Amino acid sequence: MNVEQAKRHEISHRPEFQELRRAQRRSGVRMTVVATGGFLLYVLLSSFAPELMNTSLHGHLTLGLALGLGQFVVMALIARRHIVHMRTHVDPIARGFRTQAHRQHPDRQSRPGQAPASHHTQGYRTW
Amino acid sequence: MVTTAAVVVVDGFSLQLTFLLFLSVVVVTLFTALLTAPQRDEISEFYLGNRTMTPLRNGLAMCGDYLSAATLLGSTGLVALTGYDGLLYLGGTAVAWMMVLLLIAEPLRNAGRFTLGDTIALRMPVRQRPVRLALSLCTLAVTTLYLVAQLVGSVALLTQFTGEPSAATRTLCVVVIGTVVIVYAAIGGMPGATFIQIVKAVMLISGVTVTAVMVLHHYHWNIDALLTAAADHSGMGTRFLQPGLRYGASTTSKLDFFSLQLAIVLGLAALPHVMMRLLAPRSTGVLRVSVVWAMGLVSLVCLAAGVLGLGATAVVGRETIARMDHKGDAAVLLLAHALGGGVLTALLSCLAFVTLLAVAAGLTLAAASSVAHDLYGEVIRKGRAKQTEELLVARLAAAVIGVLAMLLALVSWGANTATLAFLAFAIAASALLPTLVYTLFWRRFTATGALLSLCGGLLCSVLLVVFSPVVSSTPASLYPDADFAWFPLQNPGIVSIPAGFLLGWLGTVLGRPEVPDAYDEFEVRALVGAAD
Repeated sequence: MNVEQAKRHEISHRPEFQELRRAQRRSGVRMTVVATGGFLLYVLLSSFAPELMNTSLHGHLTLGLALGLGQFVVMALIARRHIVHMRTHVDPIARGFRTQAHRQHPDRQSRPGQAPASHHTQGYRTW
Repeated sequence: MVTTAAVVVVDGFSLQLTFLLFLSVVVVTLFTALLTAPQRDEISEFYLGNRTMTPLRNGLAMCGDYLSAATLLGSTGLVALTGYDGLLYLGGTAVAWMMVLLLIAEPLRNAGRFTLGDTIALRMPVRQRPVRLALSLCTLAVTTLYLVAQLVGSVALLTQFTGEPSAATRTLCVVVIGTVVIVYAAIGGMPGATFIQIVKAVMLISGVTVTAVMVLHHYHWNIDALLTAAADHSGMGTRFLQPGLRYGASTTSKLDFFSLQLAIVLGLAALPHVMMRLLAPRSTGVLRVSVVWAMGLVSLVCLAAGVLGLGATAVVGRETIARMDHKGDAAVLLLAHALGGGVLTALLSCLAFVTLLAVAAGLTLAAASSVAHDLYGEVIRKGRAKQTEELLVARLAAAVIGVLAMLLALVSWGANTATLAFLAFAIAASALLPTLVYTLFWRRFTATGALLSLCGGLLCSVLLVVFSPVVSSTPASLYPDADFAWFPLQNPGIVSIPAGFLLGWLGTVLGRPEVPDAYDEFEVRALVGAAD
């Protein structure tokens, strides 16, 4: 087990890490269930309860068609919530751990999210 | 398959213009692929390309990888022919991104390197080789099926122009497309594939949006007028805007549709070429914004495709579309001809060809990286292969897989593109997804579980399709005269996806446990990010 692995191992038992894990996983699972499960439920309703879905709302716009459009709105809202949640509850803790995990190796130090110089990032073309 | 050989969608002028446009796009992208090809013999550049792209470009590339010609032609055709049911299908295509964004993308990127095999190897270092072997088998099955679907699609598209093509034309079409794809993948690597992906995504998004705006403008931006016209010209009145036109005949077909939706919604996260894209960005922040971009762009294309499908029925009429091609693939081109004449038709058909080409390039690259990295680098050479050596194998593998797909496409040119693509989705969702999800989130998951769910999921979905109406018993089957179809559904997802998850659980519970603590370290890596 090298230094980095030992460091990660140590991090995994800290209460802050458990909190980070819970914050990320619980909201991820919940929102996935709402988005994906909601859509699958909508498919099932369309197949097995067509009378409900055929309720006319306005002209030719039925409840089914409106829900289909609503799906895109729900997706946008969930994506927005996810980004805000990650930015406020997950990213700060993760960033803290990242700097801690890297502090051990002054030779490999790099700012989080940035490429270390050894990868010749500047050598790439724009595409 | 071809119904009427005599009728063709486009006239000679459009055909020439399409050819000219397609040729210029191919020439430009080929040159760019050669110019941006990896200069040093580094596998990371070949597999992942430029890792410092902006989120918008990444999102465009993801969107390009995901949306194939099946979405542009097939789904719009489905909307044009079956109204509501077709729209539901488009909804599934967009919703699939939710799971990628919320659960899969970030942990996978943090703990991944080049392939899913690398991520799994972190969890089960001792028995990684058999798992990598099974994994590349599944990856090859998914990519080859999807690749053949793209090449067969090119023949189907050609049929729209020239009527049923002769054997020589067919071969020429598949060989030309296949060769260009091999050049993109083998020489250009990921940088080349990314370039064509972005070109294609920009063309697709702008082409589809402009045509949708033209449709809406035609109906003075009145959605209800569009719906009324579509219902009137569908020949079945308001039933066109109600569920059940395609999948409502019986409980079996309703379950079939649900099964298809399940595979689409869950399969995306496990498609090898999409997974490769998720690994490319260097920081989690960039990845997150990229996936949101991809989601937005895919949703936009899906909404626009819905408008195009309804517009095709409203403007052209369902009767004409069905007469041209009974799957409805001609809908968009007919609509373009009615709205914008020969020029718009040529633009959209060029777009369809470029779309085919780009998706095929991405798939070939994903298959090649799996062969070179998992199969050759880790299983055969046991991790001792030099980078130059692995790179050579990757390039050769791209060529071999391309040629194999061309041969398969020529043999099965009459096959239904959608069926092949749906089977690929079902295999991805039932073999690759359980392993991916368990690896990322389940502490106890072991190599035995991975092997069982990979092989079991693959076998289960393939066998169920073999014994389904796709292969035998109905007039549209591969073997219409034989009858061994005891599985009633055309899409195996509803059975094979739970089976894949169940087998993974069973193998884990029964097999011997992995190295203790490996998961603790893995989890920190997946959530916090590797040192890189």
